[in-house]
Amino acid sequence: MRQRLGHQRPGTGFSPRQAFLVRPVLPGFAWTIALMLLVGCGGDPDALEEMTAESALESQGSAVQERLLEPFDPPPLDELLGSATWIDRPVLDPLAGLREEQAGEPVLATPAEALQLANDSPENNATILSALGRLAEDGQADLSASVNRHIPADIGSTNPILISSTSEFDVLGLTGFGLFSFDHRMEPFALADAVVSWQTSADGLLDKVVLRDDLLWSDGEPITAHDVAFTFQVIMDPRVPVPAVRSGTDQLRWVEAYDDATLVFFHKEPFATNVWNINFPVLPKHVYETTWEDDPTLKDSSAHVRLEQQPVSGGPYEIVERTRGQQIVLKRRDNWHTVNGEQVREKPFFEEIRFRIIEDPNTSLLALKAGEIDEMILVPEQWTTQTAGADFYERNTKATALEWVSFHFGWNINTPYFSDRRVRRAMSYAFDHERMLEKLCYGLYEPATGTFHKTAWMATKKKLDPYRQDLDAAENLLDEAGWIDHDNDGIRDKEINGRFVPFEFSILTSNQPLRVAICTLLQESLDRIGVRVNVRPVEATVLQQFTLERKFEAYFGGWGTGTDPDTTENIWRTGAGRNFVGYSNPEVDRLYEEGRRELDRAKRAEKYARIQEILYDDQPYTWLYWRNSFYGFSKDLRGYVFSPRGPYNYSPGFSSLWKPAEE
Amino acid sequence: MTSDEPSNESRPPRQQAARGFWSEAWQRFRSRKLSMAALGFVLFLVLVATFAPAIAGTKPVICRYKGTIYVPCLAYFDRTFEPVIFAKDRFRGTYPANLAEKDPESWAIWPLVFQDPYRSVRDNEWPGEPANPARDQGTPSRRNLFGTDQYGVDVFAKMVHGTTVALLVGFVSMGLAGTIGITIGATAGYFGGWVDMLASRLIEVVMCIPTLVLILALVAFVDKPSIWKTMAIIGLTGWTGIARLARAEFLRLRSSEFVMAARAAGAGPLRIMLRHILPNALAPVLVPITFGIASAILIESSLSFLGFGPPPPSVSWGSLLNDARSNLQMWWLVVFPGVAIFLTVLSYNLVGEGLQEATDPRLREARK
Repeated sequence: MRQRLGHQRPGTGFSPRQAFLVRPVLPGFAWTIALMLLVGCGGDPDALEEMTAESALESQGSAVQERLLEPFDPPPLDELLGSATWIDRPVLDPLAGLREEQAGEPVLATPAEALQLANDSPENNATILSALGRLAEDGQADLSASVNRHIPADIGSTNPILISSTSEFDVLGLTGFGLFSFDHRMEPFALADAVVSWQTSADGLLDKVVLRDDLLWSDGEPITAHDVAFTFQVIMDPRVPVPAVRSGTDQLRWVEAYDDATLVFFHKEPFATNVWNINFPVLPKHVYETTWEDDPTLKDSSAHVRLEQQPVSGGPYEIVERTRGQQIVLKRRDNWHTVNGEQVREKPFFEEIRFRIIEDPNTSLLALKAGEIDEMILVPEQWTTQTAGADFYERNTKATALEWVSFHFGWNINTPYFSDRRVRRAMSYAFDHERMLEKLCYGLYEPATGTFHKTAWMATKKKLDPYRQDLDAAENLLDEAGWIDHDNDGIRDKEINGRFVPFEFSILTSNQPLRVAICTLLQESLDRIGVRVNVRPVEATVLQQFTLERKFEAYFGGWGTGTDPDTTENIWRTGAGRNFVGYSNPEVDRLYEEGRRELDRAKRAEKYARIQEILYDDQPYTWLYWRNSFYGFSKDLRGYVFSPRGPYNYSPGFSSLWKPAEE
Repeated sequence: MTSDEPSNESRPPRQQAARGFWSEAWQRFRSRKLSMAALGFVLFLVLVATFAPAIAGTKPVICRYKGTIYVPCLAYFDRTFEPVIFAKDRFRGTYPANLAEKDPESWAIWPLVFQDPYRSVRDNEWPGEPANPARDQGTPSRRNLFGTDQYGVDVFAKMVHGTTVALLVGFVSMGLAGTIGITIGATAGYFGGWVDMLASRLIEVVMCIPTLVLILALVAFVDKPSIWKTMAIIGLTGWTGIARLARAEFLRLRSSEFVMAARAAGAGPLRIMLRHILPNALAPVLVPITFGIASAILIESSLSFLGFGPPPPSVSWGSLLNDARSNLQMWWLVVFPGVAIFLTVLSYNLVGEGLQEATDPRLREARK
């Protein structure tokens, strides 16, 4: 479940900006924010925002009045300290870590040279990333600079535990307070800005954190361990409509603050995924203590309405202005980096961050060209054809990198068509992958073969060949599986329960030109081998509904990546919440269970690699491509470093960006 | 057609009087050059729609294969018309190479333009011809007269085959609207009283429904969207204007002398309505139908433009415009379908206007 929030540094991010889907995972209240179903694809963030919003509603409905947390009597601290063996866990400064890493990399060009380049080849892209992706050295950054960021939709709430859409993650990642984060390799760590030490007990059941004593909320009150324990209680109260952050957090048994600094997390079981469960946003106890019991929605009472407008911030920035549907203005918080006249943390690089809300990608591209915003996500068409000219390069440059977001055709295994593995393989053989990659996707994407990207630590070491179109193989497999044109009408059919069923099915896709074109290509490909396909483009929300209810024969969709391979469990385990295609394999179920309990990284990786191999053989999906991230940046911006979750959704993420001081 | 010349003595004056209303209207219509040109354009479109598979396609118009003559191009009208033999034997719908390879004796007559409206032509599919260019590289050329869209599908072929949709939408939806509108209007106007009261309220209720919004709502629920359902919805919501006019005409005519005479002669209400009043009421009703055709075409185009048109891969002019929306630099995606929609709607409007002037003597008088 997992991928948790780690705030503290600006952009210690969580989710990819292309929205992710928050969805019920298991019966109960588990929610995942790590994986996103991309029913909308690169470039229609608005559709996704919609979905996220809807999921949030769903969650409210599902949060029935049940007790989520059993009372717990934590043992005294001395007893804990005495009985357990403690293992030190990393406490890091993500910026320093990234700087160190970059120090070992060659610089391919100066920024001035890189800004002259047009990003039209992989080499130029590498040069641009190398030259402009450098982090600021001392004194290089203009600390009074401001930046205009683009978000595709307004935020629903400024309360960090009500977070659910990507825009909210973007904004609240800068204003929220958290103890943990993860780097671009998705290694979890505690943030040195907030934490003195982090230790895990040898049996894996306890995590002990000591907070720093120089942490202040924006209203001047100290941030203490009690805030964290309090927030845990609020998140676990079933009356509070928490859309996303309860997933994972609900795997904790208890959180106890022994004093202002010492905090112990009690786990239910020693899972490898526990490191993600302890990561959740923190509310100021002194503010909400008196208000939340009266109004557990955290939204409706007059006190909460006022807090919504002027939230108390624990992160490096605070919200100073908010015009709904238009913009959100953040200002750097002085008592974050300077406490009692002494600078205790590195000053964030921007004095002011302005989020501009522009829904239509064409409009936002115009804004970028006019210099009204400094960065935005580009859609592939914009990347290829609309940002190649001088009008774009006058003020901007652009960069791309691999992102672990993959797309697929999902075959509903509970239909007569796709219950047979040979048929699903035939589908993969029949599809014209090459044409899709070259013509439809502008040659920008690499083919996908499975649920993990090959560069991920959990991916299989075996080489899985991407499927290529082979109509003979496809027809042989269909013949073998018994789908033959018995009645001579040009459509393959098969006798099922005494009736000839023609091989004609519908494929659902969200109503987006590229996706419809890919489904139409499938239609064209299958048409040649006697299989009829009806392409049904529907609204993203309708698609979500149909897949959730398993009312489809095939669909086109995608998944983003979580921070842990365990996040895919709810896609592949028998009967899991997002196992839309109805896949069931006892071995996969067992491997997931083992993977969660295995604490050794290398042995864990083997489990997930095996899962990937099994899935490749079974082809419950026809995996299509990995979608890159594409960003346009103002020429003034420096320091963007891409992770498999995009340039912002990890740590340091956005906080590594800076603008150079005037020479 | 009789001429306007004053009749000579040998002709009995009765013959002049026998010249019917419609022939006189046609006479007047013909004298309007613009309307005639518009009518000509509509007829041209009918021809294009009828012979679309012979104009652009990848299936032979006629071919001889293994001793039998086939007309595979009919498959463009309906999939089931495609001879099954071309789906067997790993033929895979690729005619040029397979025909020659599997039966050297075969021959075929090909469409004028070897391009498919539903897919991009593959490399060497037509011996020696390269695949269609994709992305924004498909500027109009010798091979792709109107260019190609971003996925490499030929715009000319799409437009030729889209003509069918454009015409059908107009005729079918307005045929439906006309039938409903005249029936309800006639009943209301002829019987009056509470029937009229009910029908008028029904008309008002239906008028309040915004067609576009209704269609958008229905698209989400319909299980298998098709162009026919779109037409049905346009028709089912677009009959109100026609009904109102029909009602007014029937109301006016039911008290006229010839109706009274018919009634006195013992004719039943149905006979009076159909045989006596309807022919006299038709002219004013035809005008809104003609304009309705134009607006139905526009509605279909807007729906396709919004992405709610007929499901892929069926083609319509509006969906081409939709493709252009995100690829403005591909001007040919805007210009050709845009001009086609413009001309068609303009033609229907000109025909409607001509019809109005030709059938309404008062308008004619006013113009003099």
